[in-house]
Amino acid sequence: MGKVREEEMDLLSESRIEEDLLRNVNWSKKFKIWFGFLTVLLIVCLWFYIQQLRKGLGITGMHDIVSWGIYISNFVFFIAASLIGMLISSVMGMIGYKWIKPISRIAEIIAVAFALVAGIVIITDMGRPDRLHHLVLYGRIQSPIIWDIAVVITYLALSLLLLYIPLIPDISLCNDKLTGLPKFQQKMYKVLSLGWAGNEAQYKTIKRYFQILLIVIIPVALAIHTVTSWLFAMTLRTGWDSPIFGPYFVSGAFVAGCAAVIIAMYFIQRNYMLQDYITDMHFDRMGKLLVLVSLVYVYFNINEIIVPAYKFKPTEIKHIGNLLYGHDSVLFWLVQAGGLIIPFMLLMIPKMRKPLPSMLISVVILVAAWFKRYVIVVPTQLEPYMPIQNMPESYHSYTPTIPEIAITVGTLVMVLMVITILTKLFPVVSVWEMKEELLQENQS
Amino acid sequence: MKKLILITIVILPLFVAAQETWVVPETNLEKISPFVFDDDLIKDGEALYENLCISCHGTVRKNNPMVFVPSPGDPASEKFQSQTDGSMFYKINKGRGGMPGFEPTLEEEEIWSLIGYFRSLNKAYIQPEFDYGDEVLSELAMALSYDANVDKLVVKVTSNGEMKSGIKVSAAVKGLFGKYILENEETNETGIAYFNVDRKMPGDEEGNLTVQVRAQEGYSIKKTEQTMQLVEPTVKTDLIAGRHLWSKALKAPIWLIVVFNLIVSCIWGIIIYIIIGLVRLKKVS
Repeated sequence: MGKVREEEMDLLSESRIEEDLLRNVNWSKKFKIWFGFLTVLLIVCLWFYIQQLRKGLGITGMHDIVSWGIYISNFVFFIAASLIGMLISSVMGMIGYKWIKPISRIAEIIAVAFALVAGIVIITDMGRPDRLHHLVLYGRIQSPIIWDIAVVITYLALSLLLLYIPLIPDISLCNDKLTGLPKFQQKMYKVLSLGWAGNEAQYKTIKRYFQILLIVIIPVALAIHTVTSWLFAMTLRTGWDSPIFGPYFVSGAFVAGCAAVIIAMYFIQRNYMLQDYITDMHFDRMGKLLVLVSLVYVYFNINEIIVPAYKFKPTEIKHIGNLLYGHDSVLFWLVQAGGLIIPFMLLMIPKMRKPLPSMLISVVILVAAWFKRYVIVVPTQLEPYMPIQNMPESYHSYTPTIPEIAITVGTLVMVLMVITILTKLFPVVSVWEMKEELLQENQS
Repeated sequence: MKKLILITIVILPLFVAAQETWVVPETNLEKISPFVFDDDLIKDGEALYENLCISCHGTVRKNNPMVFVPSPGDPASEKFQSQTDGSMFYKINKGRGGMPGFEPTLEEEEIWSLIGYFRSLNKAYIQPEFDYGDEVLSELAMALSYDANVDKLVVKVTSNGEMKSGIKVSAAVKGLFGKYILENEETNETGIAYFNVDRKMPGDEEGNLTVQVRAQEGYSIKKTEQTMQLVEPTVKTDLIAGRHLWSKALKAPIWLIVVFNLIVSCIWGIIIYIIIGLVRLKKVS
């Protein structure tokens, strides 16, 4: 710990790399306790979902006025967090930053987990999930919802491939080196290694495929969050009717994603003893990246508020007022100042980019990012163009109910489960890429 | 201070006038309508009420007039209805304080139509019969036609079977919510009144419009309504015909279908290409 990676490299040998990086592939007691805890939590949440299935969406806090509650906020948050895979592996990778190699698989795992569960999250918002196939049967191609479904599925497929392709040599390694694993796991490695022989032509092939995917995923990742923003921006509602909603969402997504990666890096480094691979330097650089994307996001936030606030259109007055000093102002300022501006300013101090402080700051940012989605989705609906008249008093506000919160927690539990399983099934840091790097450094 | 005095001078008479009871000269009290309060007349009265009176007197039967002193009153209220027809006629004509006099703006018949409307709110009311005296009510008859050469509606009026000049004729086009008045005319020596017709007015698919014509000579009134081809046929456009963003799925714009499918198939083409390549990875050497 604390040493610069270049010095560390001298001590690393191929066998040491293999030993270090394959260490996490097992079913330890710690894992069983953690996973058991998650399972119990999920079962409790599932019980609430069964209640929702039986009684309908009436058990949620949603009503005629606020028909998109925390489920949709949660969906937007999940899509946002999944975007980080593209930024780290693709954009940073193609620019040529070598330091992202040990953490790019973590970023991909996060992308896959969040994108996978995002699809489930959207089903939790459906009153009649048994009619899901109606989307295909009766969906209109003119609707952004159809574009969203198409792009989420596409992004998930691309993210899975982007995770899987660099894994193939490592899976083959697991198949060769690891013993004493359950039979199904051995079999799975064998099937998934696709008969990998490790020859030059095979490396060349997967590297080419990987390059293609890195390029293709950029427009798709931008599209996934732009289309998600269009679900809002294509309406005429105050607060959503904004032409910069696409880039606003994308920049916000990078903030959430970077924070998620830093948190994952911290726990993976500690639990799997990867201090030699995920070093202080990585936390430092990820911290800097988080500052950069936060600044971009702050810039878009200023635009989102100042432009309508300056024009002061009658319909916008109430909405902006509610956010800045009205009904939703406490949450708004907690999210904006407490969850974005103060954390990124703290991250500009070098000491704050050490593993523990940067992880804690990232937790704050990630939680605030979730509530930011709530601030985007809910308050707008409480200021419709037509006044809310002849409605029950409860329709003038929105409070999520316990089942609703439990189901949302359940989806977060699922993400953690997916991340946990993936990090226990496969090496979290690419073994062959580390070896390759070692080889290159020894040659030079 | 100056302002205050000025305001007092302007406002005070209103209240002074308001405090006194509204005395209608005796001769006016007994005045009754020469016009029969039939459905047409009541309808005209209702339209006038909604244009001119409702802002102060409120929606009838709801008892929600403006809060003035004295109260303008709801025409359906008992107090209002307890007046004679003549009293109402005098008050509408002359006005007082905040209530304007309508003598300069409304025809006598229009004021009676308002009273007819008020009386229609009172089931107990029976219209007193008007004594026409020596005056003989003439029998009016009308024939409507359209002269395409000059774009004019031609109304030929006969009084007791004879052509007569100076008979008041007004024509209007019936719309969905009320009517569009064409003109008020008088017949010429041959008993004909002409009305200009704008061919651009919206009619039905055959260019038909419903025309309402009213002729009046003395207290004798004749009304007629006729649907006739007056204007250019209206070509109705179906808003969801053709391909639009708001159309149903099968009618999506071509560009959208092409762009969407092109993008989706391109990217999935790449995905499938890579998956096939991976399946064949074993054979690569």
